[in-house]
Amino acid sequence: MTETAPPPAISMAQPDDFFQLLKPRVMSLVIFTAVTGLVVAGGELDWLSAAIAILCIAVGAGAAGALNMALEGETDALMRRTRGRPVAAGRVNKNDAMTFGVILSIFSVMLLGMTANWLAGGLLLMTILYYAVFYTLLLKRRTPQNIVIGGAAGAFPPVIGWAAATGQAPWQAWLLFAIIFLWTPPHSWALALYSAGDYARAGIPMMPVARGAKSTRLQILIYSLVFVPVAVAPGLLGLGGVLYLAVSGIGGLGFLFLAVRLWRSRAGDQPDKAEAVGREAALYDVRAEAKPARNLFAFSILYLMALFAALLVESLTTLPGL
Amino acid sequence: MRRLTPEELSARNKRNLAIAGALVAFIVLVFAVTVLNLKRNIDARADAIAAGQPVEYAR
Repeated sequence: MTETAPPPAISMAQPDDFFQLLKPRVMSLVIFTAVTGLVVAGGELDWLSAAIAILCIAVGAGAAGALNMALEGETDALMRRTRGRPVAAGRVNKNDAMTFGVILSIFSVMLLGMTANWLAGGLLLMTILYYAVFYTLLLKRRTPQNIVIGGAAGAFPPVIGWAAATGQAPWQAWLLFAIIFLWTPPHSWALALYSAGDYARAGIPMMPVARGAKSTRLQILIYSLVFVPVAVAPGLLGLGGVLYLAVSGIGGLGFLFLAVRLWRSRAGDQPDKAEAVGREAALYDVRAEAKPARNLFAFSILYLMALFAALLVESLTTLPGL
Repeated sequence: MRRLTPEELSARNKRNLAIAGALVAFIVLVFAVTVLNLKRNIDARADAIAAGQPVEYAR
C-alpha cells in the first residue's frame, strides 16, 4: 500500500507565482506603449513623476491580469497555452488572486491620480474594469467579437500615458489607441487559427471556433486592410516623422502581404498540430498549412513594436529631418 | 492542527518578505509623490507671486 502526502495546510504559493499573475509579457507591451504615449505627448511631468506614472500603469495592467486569471482559472486549466498559469495549475488560490488583483488595482489607480492627474487615474480604473469585468465576465464567452471589443482594454495604455503627461487625451492619443485596437483582431485571430482546438475545448467562441477558419481568414484580411492605413496615419498627420512613415509604410506592406497569403491559405482547416499528435503545443510549432497564420501572428508583434519604437525614437531625438 | 512542514514555512516566509518589500516600496512611493506635489505647489505659488497674482497665505 502506498502512502500519499497530506495536502498542504497553508498555501505553497511563491512570490514568483504572484508575479506571474501580473502577466509580465503583456505588462512589458503595456509599459512600452504607455511610455511612448507619455513621451510623444510632451508635457511638463518631471522624470520621477513620469517613472511612477508608468509603474502605476504597469501595475494596474498587471492587476487586471490577476483578476482575469482569478476569474478564468477553470477555463485556463483546459487550454494548453494557459494551463500552467498559477491559478489554473492550483499554485495560487482563486480568492488570493482576486484579493491581490483588487488591492493592486486600488493602489495603482490612487497613486496614479496623486502623481499625475485624475484623468489618467480614471482611465486606468476604466481599463481595469473594462478588461476584468466587461471583457472577461461578459464578452469572452458570449460573442465571437469578444476580442474585437475587448481589444480596447489593451489599447488604452498610450492614452493613459498621454493623459498622465498632459492632463488631456486629444485625438493624437486616440489615434494611438486606434492602432492597437485595430491591430488586435488580426493578431489574435491569427493565433486562434492554429490553436482553435484549445478554445473549442474551453467553450470560448473565438472566431475560428464560431464561424470557421475560412471566415476568420477573410476577416483577418479585412481588418488588416483597415489597420494598415490607420497605422500609417500618424506619419501623414504630423504625429510621426519620416522614420515613422518609412517603418509604418514598409512594415504595413509586409503585414498586408502576410494577411493576403493567410487569406489564400488553408490555415485552420485542419485540427491543431499539437492536438493531432497529442503533446504540448509549442507556440510556433504548427502544421505546414498553418504557417501563414503563425507568420502573421509573429510579424504582427514585431510590427506593433516597431511602430511605437519609431514614434519613441523620433520623440527622443530632435535631429532635423529625421 | 498539524505542524507546518519546512516547505510550507519556507513558502510562507518568502511571501511575507515579498509583502514587506512591496509595502516598503509603496510607502517610499507615496512619500516621494507627496514631496513632488508639495514642490509643484510651492513652485506654482512662487510663480503666481512673481506674476503679481493674488495668492492666499502669500505673506
